Amino acid sequence: MTLLELQNLKKYFATQKAVDDISLTVERGQIFGLLGPNGAGKTTLIRMITGIFYPDEGQIIFDGKKFDPINDVGQIGYMPEERGLYKKMKIGEQAMYLAQLKGLSKADALKKIKQWFIKFEMESWWSKKVEDLSKGMSQKLQFVTTVLHEPKLIILDEPFSGLDPVNSNLIKDEIFNLAKNGSTIIFSTHRMEQVEEICDHIALVNKGKKILDGTVKQVKQEFKENLYSVGIEQELSSITGVTPYEIVGQKNGLHILKINEGSTPNDVLQYLLNQRATIHSFNEILPSLNDIFIKLVEGTPAARQFQKI
Amino acid sequence: MKKIWLIIKREYLTRVRKKTFIISTLLFPILWIALIFGMGYIAKESVQNLKIAVIDNSGYFSEERLNKQNAIDNSSTLIPETKNAEKIVADYKTNGYDGYIVIPAMSWKTGTDSLQLKSNKSYGSSSTATVEAKLNRIWNEIKNDSLQLDNEKQQILAASRITLKSKNIEDEKADVKTAEGIGYVSGLLIYLILLIYGSQVMMGVMEEKTNRIAEVIVSSVKPFQMMLGKILGIGLVALTQFFLWIAFVVIIYNVGKVSGAGGGMASQMIGGMQSMFGSVNVPLILFCFGFYFLAGFFFYASLYGAIGSAVNEDMREAQSLSFPITMLVIISIALMTPAIANPTSPIAVWASIIPISSPIVMMARIPFGVPNTVPWWQLGLSMALLVLSFIVTVWFAGKIYRTGILMYGKKPSWKEMLKWAFRKN
Repeated sequence: MTLLELQNLKKYFATQKAVDDISLTVERGQIFGLLGPNGAGKTTLIRMITGIFYPDEGQIIFDGKKFDPINDVGQIGYMPEERGLYKKMKIGEQAMYLAQLKGLSKADALKKIKQWFIKFEMESWWSKKVEDLSKGMSQKLQFVTTVLHEPKLIILDEPFSGLDPVNSNLIKDEIFNLAKNGSTIIFSTHRMEQVEEICDHIALVNKGKKILDGTVKQVKQEFKENLYSVGIEQELSSITGVTPYEIVGQKNGLHILKINEGSTPNDVLQYLLNQRATIHSFNEILPSLNDIFIKLVEGTPAARQFQKI
Repeated sequence: MKKIWLIIKREYLTRVRKKTFIISTLLFPILWIALIFGMGYIAKESVQNLKIAVIDNSGYFSEERLNKQNAIDNSSTLIPETKNAEKIVADYKTNGYDGYIVIPAMSWKTGTDSLQLKSNKSYGSSSTATVEAKLNRIWNEIKNDSLQLDNEKQQILAASRITLKSKNIEDEKADVKTAEGIGYVSGLLIYLILLIYGSQVMMGVMEEKTNRIAEVIVSSVKPFQMMLGKILGIGLVALTQFFLWIAFVVIIYNVGKVSGAGGGMASQMIGGMQSMFGSVNVPLILFCFGFYFLAGFFFYASLYGAIGSAVNEDMREAQSLSFPITMLVIISIALMTPAIANPTSPIAVWASIIPISSPIVMMARIPFGVPNTVPWWQLGLSMALLVLSFIVTVWFAGKIYRTGILMYGKKPSWKEMLKWAFRKN
């Protein structure tokens, strides 16, 4: 079931086509990775979804209805990349304030904050001020305030930056938990290993346009280069003749083969067996998202240029 | 609406609970009183008791007369030095004099218009006034004696004086002195509030921007609500401070009344206050004060808020961009003085109608009396225009705020900010 549908969204600024005709569909319970280089238009796109910006053109369908920023923001939790809290405010009061701004009643807010604080072992923080917290601690607090009101849609922009591995895992587990309980998560980052680990579905945005959209598996299949790693006892280069593959390289004692066009992995195995080779392992090498990202974005200028519109 | 309320509450409570608020609320009246008494004290202390040599060529200013006056009034000392005149003129200082006066030969009938106090310093008028008064008393005595006026005749001469007072027959209670005082105080208070709390709004917005919490908040509420909540919250803080000060005055007033004529100073003050409040329309002034204070605050605070949203953490940027607005407030206070001196002059009338200066100037005029000095139409027009223009500035500021609050980087120019305001979406 679809929770969020973006139809031909456009947002032009004075010198940039920040978002230029992007359509996306995010399913309920999905962890959706929104990827793209710096300045690709991710933040602008997210700001339209959170009701901060109005799109110049296009529509946002949220939960089956046309997106209504005033009422629907209570269903959205947003943790921006540029995050912050009131430094001089006590942590408990701060969490209460942000929760109530999202529409929770005082009693509800208090109950939920208590639960989360216990979960994240933050009970002793209640009457401390934000300026007393370390960066990682305030990150945790920020995460709690984002998800506290049990939003249907949670948007996290670089949620792990500045967190140590222990706290990263804590938050990661919580993200999985939230998705399991029915929340939909849009996860924006350029840390590809995290995307591979966490996301079901990704979309890649560059220069205001969507250039890739699909599940992680699909995308990898789409960009695979028919590479296999073969563990074999003989020296592979001693096998000569018309091979159904090319040797591309060697890594950790494994040979890396690229299967010729028109051949299948079975052909390769058959050929090698016929050569009386002893095979220990035979694995497909799928491109990492990092490789795909670099491949797609490479060649475009690292920084977006200003343009006339 | 509930969200604006939450924002107001936060802005209000975080400020009111601060130590600086409590301290400034307590200190301000104390400083104010200290200033008033301090000024009086300093003025008194700065009067010098002059010792003056009098070189008399007229023969009227005899040693006997001078000594008689010195005995009555010791605020200055006049010593006759007619015999060794040349020595004194050349060297009055080593003889212990602050200066000398040469009285020319003259007839008691014509006298002389002016005398000179010669010295190596310029003395303030408060110091020379006592000398002048003493000389005049002696001169009167000389004239009386020459005319052979006895005590009775002298008293008749002194007693029959005509004084002219301006009396407003439409408004029996009007008292110009009190009106001037109240006008000054209310104008000054509004001026202080506009500057102090206006810049607080600006700093508050800047804080949200530098803390990067703005984006979190605007994903929950509209930027306009965020701005309005902040302005209202801070306005309430200012109002609270006011009420505390008024409560202060009322307490002092009542305590003073109960303790009766205990201290001379206190009872004098109480008496002054009683006659002051008797001569003006207190409820009307309080109502107008509340109105101009709030409306003027909205007008300026929204502009300050817009600037806070447009700049980055750099205080200097904020100062340079807010300078034109601060200038407007300062011009208003500059217009207040001529308006109080002549509350019906065209400059006073227009400055109290134009919304930029009306909060300060109108407040300075109102104590002179409504509807005689300030006709109802002027008051109504001034209020209507102020309301209209604060709606415009709040709207305008909201537009700038919406764009500015999420904008980091270069400081925008006023031109760019205007562009933000008139951009749709």
